[in-house]
Amino acid sequence: MARRIEHHPAGDRPAGATVTFTCNGEQIEARVGDTLATALLLAGVRTLRTMPDSAAPRGLFCDIGRCTDCLMVVDDELSVRSCVTPVRDGMVVETQPGLGVWKVAEHAAG
Amino acid sequence: MQQVDVLVIGAGPAGVEAALAWKARGNDVLLVDEQDAVGGSLRWTLQAVMPGHSSGIAWAEDAAARLAAAGVQVQLNTIVWGMFPDNVVAISQADTSTTLQASTTIVATGGTDRVSAFPGWELPGVITATAARRLLHLHRVLPGDRVAVIGSGWLADAVSEDISRCGGTVVARAPGVTDVAVSGTTQAETIVIGDTATAVDTVVIALGMQPDPELALHRSPETAWNAATQAPLPRRDGRGQTSVPGLYVCGAAAGAALPSIAAQDGAATAAASDAMLDIWLQTPVRAEHASDDVVLCRCEQITAGAVRQALRENATTLNDVKRRTRAGMGLCQGCFCMPAVARLLLDEAGVDPETIEPMTARPPARALPLRSLARLYE
Repeated sequence: MARRIEHHPAGDRPAGATVTFTCNGEQIEARVGDTLATALLLAGVRTLRTMPDSAAPRGLFCDIGRCTDCLMVVDDELSVRSCVTPVRDGMVVETQPGLGVWKVAEHAAG
Repeated sequence: MQQVDVLVIGAGPAGVEAALAWKARGNDVLLVDEQDAVGGSLRWTLQAVMPGHSSGIAWAEDAAARLAAAGVQVQLNTIVWGMFPDNVVAISQADTSTTLQASTTIVATGGTDRVSAFPGWELPGVITATAARRLLHLHRVLPGDRVAVIGSGWLADAVSEDISRCGGTVVARAPGVTDVAVSGTTQAETIVIGDTATAVDTVVIALGMQPDPELALHRSPETAWNAATQAPLPRRDGRGQTSVPGLYVCGAAAGAALPSIAAQDGAATAAASDAMLDIWLQTPVRAEHASDDVVLCRCEQITAGAVRQALRENATTLNDVKRRTRAGMGLCQGCFCMPAVARLLLDEAGVDPETIEPMTARPPARALPLRSLARLYE
């Protein structure tokens, strides 16, 4: 399980204010300054997306916005790189299946 | 279109020193970086890798002050996603793209993690050394209770030391990926190294870094095989200029092995002297090969077996393999699979390294929302 480092060898920083967001409907607390992927790792959420076809789980891999294993659906927008997206209060986040499905496409189909 | 004398892309040691050196010679300099602070990888380096500084982190903080004092214009949270003819560069900031034109463009985009495929390496919980060090030193988070580290060079030693210094535990180490397998249902749970199984929740791939000059490749500079980094890199003159006039590559993006050398290499782009710096370390890259069922290209889920099949069908270049298999065609644009495909071409297909050219690199260098392009042609 991931945990915050309380005393860092490079010196401590003041903790950011607490924010709350939801992931797949579950409320999660984080701190201002956390990335989405970090906040989820701390909450024990390791699968951030599943792959097209294989449905294999993927999680944080590069943490620098290169590999796109961390793509999630954030406030209805698809394929957001959660490792480089700061968490915000009230964010609504979902794990992304494959390439994701645009909500607008669902409406059009309906 | 905005015009600048000198555009420096990447605010790590090479980019910072390049920006300061060109500014000192009277140029108007714009330094951009996709991160939210300057310092590049030194922002997550605890070791004293720069002369006169207690840590990389301390150097990064000092670099911000030096740039401000010198009057270098710094633009953060800025993604450079395309380089075009006539020195036009496309950038995106807050999901809005613009273009600018620079007489001199210096690509100081650093390196990315050198990874190698092994069974289970796509499982959540398996992360790169950069991810581990960013978690520890930027996000101030220990990624797990039981960490295994794969690799035998300075990077693996640094990550292992960092984990211990931050209060974590390294429970297993492997010198490379040969005879390593990770398993688990939805995340890494067990690592088997040789005959020894160890329970883990995090596995760090710390094989080393590789140059990442992708943006420069948009301009199709001449490249040559670089034996030290085992990669095709842009040819450079003594000041880091490529075969495309006005386009420079320096620092880790050009293959510099250490941050202090990258800094010197960056400064040399503006120097009067054309003396070629020796920026490479002659440490051999381990040649490790995945078995057929292992996924080599993470993005497109292409196995080593599929790549070998392409080689049997006479694929002789990286682009041949890419077109036949889709390896390298995914969202990371070959960043993480190109070295592994190159290894198979060299070691199993017997291709002459001098003939290896990078996969064709095209804009955009990062996945962008389409709306970010909307204002480009207004």
